[in-house]
Order: sequence, then structure tokens, then C-alpha cells
Amino acid sequence: MELMERQETWSITYNHALGETASYFYAKIRDEGAIYGKRCAKTNRVLVPPRSFSDETLLPTTDWVKVGPGGRIEAFTIVYEKFNNLPDPPYAFGYVLLDGADTALGGYFKGIDLKDPAAAAAKLKVGTRVKAKFAEKRTGAMLDFWFELA
Amino acid sequence: MGLRNQPGVIGCAIRPVIAPRDRSLEEVIYDTAQLALTDAGLTIEDIDGIVVAANDQFDGRSISVMMASGPTGGVDRDIMSTPSASEHAFVLGALRVATGQFRTQLVVSWSPTEVSSMPEAQRLGADPYFHRALPLDELSAHALQASAVEQVQPDARTAAEAVAAKNRSHGQQAWPQPPVTAAAGPMRWPVTPAMTSAPVTGSVAMVLATPDFVQQRSLRDVAWIQGMGWATEPSFLGDRDLATAPALVAAAKQAYDGAGITDPISAFDLAELTDATPYTELLAYEALSLCPRDQWAARAADGSFAQGGKLPVNLSGGVLTWNPVFCTGMIRIAEVANQIRGRAGRHQAANVRRGLAHAGSGFAMQYQSAIVLGKEARA
Amino acid sequence: MSGNRVGIIGIGQSEFRSRRDDASYPDLVREGVVRAMEDAKLDFDAIQAVVYSLSPDAMIGIGNAERLGIDAVGGRNKPFLRINNGGATGISSAVAAYYHIASGMFDVVLTAGADKIGECGDSQTVLNKIWDPSYERPLPLGTINMLAMSAVRYMDRYGMTEEDMARVTVKNRHHASLNPKAHLRKEVTIEDVLASRIISWPIKLLDCCPQSSGGAALVLASERFIKDNKLDAVWITGVGHAAETYWMGDRMGNNPTAEHADAYALGRSFEKSYRMAGITDPMKQIQVAELYAPFSSTEYHSIDAARLSPSPQETIQRLRDGEYQIGGRIPVNPSGGTLCTNAIAVTAMARVAEIALQVWGRAGAHQVKGAKLGVASGNGGDHQIFGTMVIEA
Repeated sequence: MELMERQETWSITYNHALGETASYFYAKIRDEGAIYGKRCAKTNRVLVPPRSFSDETLLPTTDWVKVGPGGRIEAFTIVYEKFNNLPDPPYAFGYVLLDGADTALGGYFKGIDLKDPAAAAAKLKVGTRVKAKFAEKRTGAMLDFWFELA
Repeated sequence: MGLRNQPGVIGCAIRPVIAPRDRSLEEVIYDTAQLALTDAGLTIEDIDGIVVAANDQFDGRSISVMMASGPTGGVDRDIMSTPSASEHAFVLGALRVATGQFRTQLVVSWSPTEVSSMPEAQRLGADPYFHRALPLDELSAHALQASAVEQVQPDARTAAEAVAAKNRSHGQQAWPQPPVTAAAGPMRWPVTPAMTSAPVTGSVAMVLATPDFVQQRSLRDVAWIQGMGWATEPSFLGDRDLATAPALVAAAKQAYDGAGITDPISAFDLAELTDATPYTELLAYEALSLCPRDQWAARAADGSFAQGGKLPVNLSGGVLTWNPVFCTGMIRIAEVANQIRGRAGRHQAANVRRGLAHAGSGFAMQYQSAIVLGKEARA
Repeated sequence: MSGNRVGIIGIGQSEFRSRRDDASYPDLVREGVVRAMEDAKLDFDAIQAVVYSLSPDAMIGIGNAERLGIDAVGGRNKPFLRINNGGATGISSAVAAYYHIASGMFDVVLTAGADKIGECGDSQTVLNKIWDPSYERPLPLGTINMLAMSAVRYMDRYGMTEEDMARVTVKNRHHASLNPKAHLRKEVTIEDVLASRIISWPIKLLDCCPQSSGGAALVLASERFIKDNKLDAVWITGVGHAAETYWMGDRMGNNPTAEHADAYALGRSFEKSYRMAGITDPMKQIQVAELYAPFSSTEYHSIDAARLSPSPQETIQRLRDGEYQIGGRIPVNPSGGTLCTNAIAVTAMARVAEIALQVWGRAGAHQVKGAKLGVASGNGGDHQIFGTMVIEA
């Protein structure tokens, strides 16, 4: 028998409240081109991106700490497959431990030739030093900055 | 009621409305969980397990439990989620305590208003096979149910108007700066603006514990679960008689059997029933054996279910006062628990020994739950 | 606990495939349920409560799709609730059903679900929305990329190579070739895997699970009911869940509690299950394992977390030596595992079902000879929420 299909698309808009902590973080990125983390007073760990409470101690974080722009690669991947709603491949991104931080922050890695996967992976290996770079025009968003080899 | 360990409610945080929007959803959940722990006199170290409930389409997240794990203390703890209904998180938390494999459970639910159109988010709950093309959101389903009720009980409308007025009056006492009193959004006949309230951001958290834990910590102000029932209507509205609530009849039987209740109308000092519209409260009266439909109008008129009446219903003001859509069910349970614990606030009733909570959620009350809570450990 | 045990008395699974255009979503749920009920030799009236297994709504494209499955599981007027712990949902649902019975309130509980991932055109888009809206979603995160980064760290710390990853695929595809319910059943070689196209380095196409459609169901019962009705059963003797931080970047950097290379909370969950089941020496006592591993690389840290190896380096060596294949010391994923079949809502339930079949001696061509005690696991969220179970004959 004939088997039919019906195409359905979900499209819903959300306006997520960011709260004071993330708002401060983005304002600093936009206005100063700087990345800030927040310290948990009990463990002394600096959480980047900043959270208003530590999920380990469940205590509110206290003081702001400017971190980076230097740091080291903690994890990376290089994507060669096209996914819907994601950029055209290839691209590299991952997590970087910025100087002064205790947790790693996500971002794109730019300025690396990705044609040869093994060679690119060797350049991005865990522990490699990188530096955060900021866009000239910043809107206060995660993509206002990226990482390049130091 | 067959439970190996009878769970007790030892802490509650009821936040039926949260404004302004100066906290992220994750931070709202953190605040609520912390308030419940404080109310219980515990810290997160005392919590053995967590159950959360939220609606991914309201939250705008694909798996809400992920974001909620941190703020509820889920890191290095046992956490599960029941996205079917907020009241289901309470039920599962209670079952987990009853096994004796956990001393305590923290149960948390929330309902934000960050989606640009709540009806649109709800319409995704209509199946793509037969119903997605219809304008079927929760209010439409409530309206279909209301018209079905009016069809078989013509004076239900009079009763519904009286129930709405009662709950708004209760709400004004419970909430000194009363909120917007009616939905601003579009209505669906026969549901009028006075019969609903607009969605708000809210959340609720409760702490449950075993009798051993309650004794070891010398906790007072415990609301014990004496009976618990939950049941479900079929998938399609067209397969149901919307003028009745058979799943609630089934849930009530489980709860009453568990609590040993044979005469419900005289068994409780108060009740909190889900009044998404006053028609749902009326249907609950009947399904919970509190009042047959031919007496709805008379009992609504004589104040039987109002403050000072035979069985005060929704002293909190109910959903008609604050409507954090997804978590209204668990809020009803927490309201009854706090009445028994003497911690209900401005709307605290005197000498509450036993109360009944009803949670109804989904399209036209698809999920039905009845919880009997009491001051005494055993019914 | 004797006399208060909880047993599995019925198991149903679909033959998992890419597409099931002949069946609607509830039809697929029904398929698993009917098979489980036939296996349990019970009428629907015997079912006292239902736990519904469903992970993201958006993957199936229906909000609260459990409501659409109520009829398929016979839930009308019965206690019914849904579990969603992401990829762990299937095992979390089985554990929730276990709690229903262990509470003393019920004797017979059904848990069931299905998925049709093949119908979702944007699964990595859906999965991007599991992350924080502002901090993480702007990044091209998806579950493949997330676990590629775990693999990178595992390589860096323990010396896993791309060949080692390929070895897992070769092993599990061989196992799947013996299992008619598995989705990807074609045997492959290490060379095939290494030559397959790179998705997210170091993960290649053949290091990845498929997107599967199918249903699964389990019937659980109290020991009293099983004995009174003289039923055959296998026993759930240990259960547990544990979670770790939502924030992937917190699993890196300076001395993280939960290292992203590893599966910290999976280990914590296994600790709970083992304590409950009285397992003190997993490498000696456990005879078979079904560990949720949707990518070849993730089987390594799952074996570590289950303590089926003394160290990660040793896990890599033992896998090279064939110790985790059927016929080896502790077969892992004899069904072919998640790597060969992934219908997300029931993937972790299939792990439970497969271990139950193994210790029951009913696994068929992929039976591990003489297995009487096995373990199952499920991973959910961004490698964050884990459920585990010990099942014994």
C-alpha cells in the first residue's frame, strides 16, 4: 500500500533571562574585550564562564576575576561533516583553560590549516598555548572572541 | 497503603510567581531548592536523591534535567526526571523514599514564561498524525471539557462562576498585592477571562524523608503521605467523555484505599484542587467523591468549599490566582503539606489534621493525581 | 532483601532499523509492549502501573509524546509516568519501575518506549539545545563533537589510538552480526573504519552509532508475585544513578572532580549498584556487560568505570587482546551494543533487556556461555547522568 509522510517543523522563539552573572560577563566582553570568571570562596576555584553558584559546593560565588587572554588547549575537535544549522566544515573548536581560571571555556580555533586532519590535530593537541582574540565589533556574545595559537 | 516506609514531607518552598526576571532559570531553580532545604532544616549533604520535572518546550531546552542537575544538587547524586508532570516527580520521590533505599528525596519543578507563545509550545503536544493541524492548546482542551460539562449539567456555568469568584477571593487574602486577576490572552468559549489566569513564572520544591530519618533528626512539622494515587486518560481527546474524569476516580480510589478513607467529604480539613478553570475544580469535586454534579451549584452558592465552609478548597487562591502552568500540580501538594505543617503563611487554616491535594495536568486533565496528607504518620 | 526482590519476567524488543515507515510512533511502542507481554505470558489486566521511557520530545517531533503512547502501553486509568534522563532514559525507566515495586505499592509494572530517530532531520540541532542557551549553544556543540573531545583527552592521557577505537567497532559489529535485532550488522575491518570519512576528528563514520527506529519493553514483578504465579524470572540485585557537572569545561582544567576523558559519575553509579548487589570484585564476579557506548572511543571509559579492568592503559591492552569479545574473559556488548543500534529513548533499556536475556540463557547466537551475573549501564545528558543495574539469574 502507499505509505505517506508529512513534514513538520518546530520553530519557537525564547527570550532567556541571563541573570546578573552572565549579563556582567557579556557586558565585559562587549565593553572591555575581556573575559571574567567568578570565584567560589570555599574551594577558591575560578569558574569560567562565570556561574552565580558552584554546582559542587552549592554556595554562591563571590568575587570577579579577570582571566586570560592566554591559555592552554584542554580539548578540541575538527569537524569535517556538514550538520544542519551548523557552519560549513571544516572548522575546529574546543575548550581552553585561560590563565587564572580553573575551568575551561569553549570557543572556535581560528588561523589553522585544517586540510590535513592529522597535521591539524597535532597543532591543536592538548596542552598547546593559545590566546583569546576579540572581534572589533562586539555585541556581548560568545562568538565575540575565539582562540589562535600563541 | 502498602508502602514499606511511609514518606513524610519535611520541607517545602512554594514560589507560585517569580518576578522580576533578574535570575536565569537555572538560578531560579537553585533559589527554590535552597529554600526547601532551609525549610527542612537540612543541607544538600542530607539529600540522597533528586527528582525533577519540567516541560522541555516551555523551558526551551531539549533535556531540562541536565540544566537542573547542578542547581538542585545533582552533582554526584542520584537524579531522575519525570517530564510528564510536576506531580509525577513528587510521586516518584515518594516511591523512592518508600523503598527504604533512600533516607530523603528533594523534588523540584518549575515553569518559566520565556517562550514567546505558550499556546504554540503546547500545540507541539498535539500529534502530527491527526491533531497538529488543529488549534489545540491547553486552553482549547479546557474549553472543550467545559462545554462538554455544560452540555450534561446546564447549571455548571453558575457553579463555575462561583468557584472562580471563591478562588479569587481566597487569592486576595493569601496574596496581599493581588496579581492581575484575569488572563489577558484570547479566550475559548465557554471559558471567560474571569475563569483563567495568565501564565507566570513559578517553581516549587519539596523534601521527603523516611520515618527513621524524621525520628533521628527529631523533625517536627511533618506532613505524612497517607495515600497516593495517580492515573491517566487515554491519548486522544476524542476517545474520552470529557464531561467525566475517570482517571481521577481511579487515582482517588488508590489514594483513599491507601489512607483508609471511606467518607471523603468528612475526612479532610481542607483541599487544594487543580483549578486550571473552575470546571476542572468541579469535575474534581465529583471524581473525588466530595460533591456530585447535581449539587455543584448549590454547594458553590452556600460556601461549602469556601473559607469557613465545610471543606475549604484552594485557600491558596489556586491556579486562578497564580498559574505557573507546568508546576501547578506539585504546588497543590506542597500547599496541603504546608497547611498540615502549619507553615502555609497568610492563608494558614487552624488545626489542619488531614488534607487532600489534587493535581491535574495535560490536555483536559489527562494526568490525574490524588494525594492524602496528614499530621499523623498512619491514617 | 530475600522475599522482597524484584524480577524481570518479560522482555520485548523490535528489530531495529533506520526507518519504520510502516509504523507510527505509538505503533512502534506497541510492538515492544506486545512482545514483552507475550514473553511474560500475562494479560494487560495484570499490569498495575506503567513507566514510560522517552528522551527528548524534539527528537520524535511531538511535545510530551508520552501522552500519545498512553494507549500503546495500556495506560488508561492506570498509574503512568514518564522518565527522561537523556540517553540513560531506558535504564532510568527500568530503575523507576523497580522502585515502583520495591516501594511495596505494586506487584507488576510495565516499562516501555520507542524512538524513530530516522525521522528527525536535525538530531544534532536538537542535541545542541541540550546546552546552556547563551554560554554554549553558539558553539557547534553536538553529542558527536562532545564525545570527540572526550576521545581526544582519553588519547592524551592514556595512549588510545585511532586503531584502538576502530577495534571496538570491529568487535561490536561482529557481535551485532550474531544478533538479528541489531541495526548495523555488517562486519567491518580496522582498515574499513580508518578509511571511513572523518566526522569530528578523531571520530570517523564507522566509530559512530546509527540513528535507529524501534521499540522496547520490560515487565517487572515482585518476588511474591513471581513465586505465587510460578513464573520464570531473572533478578535485579543492584541499581544506581549518579550525575556529574553539566558544564563540560568544568571537566577539564585544574583538577576536575569529573574528568571529561573518563566517566566519573558512571563509576559512582556502578559503585552504588555493586554495593547493593554485594559485588566486591567486578573483574571476577561479572560475566557479561552491556555498557552504553554510542561511539567506539566511549566503550573504553565505560569499561574503566565498571571496573572491568585495572586501569585505562590495561583496558586498551585487553581490548587488543580480545578479552571483551564473545569468548573472551568478560564480553562487553555481545549484542553489538549502542554502537550498532541507537533508538535513543530505549537504547539503555535494550542494555537491560540484553543482560536479562544473557543471564537467563536466552540470548541466542550472541549468548555468553554460562553467564549468570551481568551489568548494564546508560549515559544521558552531555555525558552527565548515568544509570546502572546488576542482573542475576
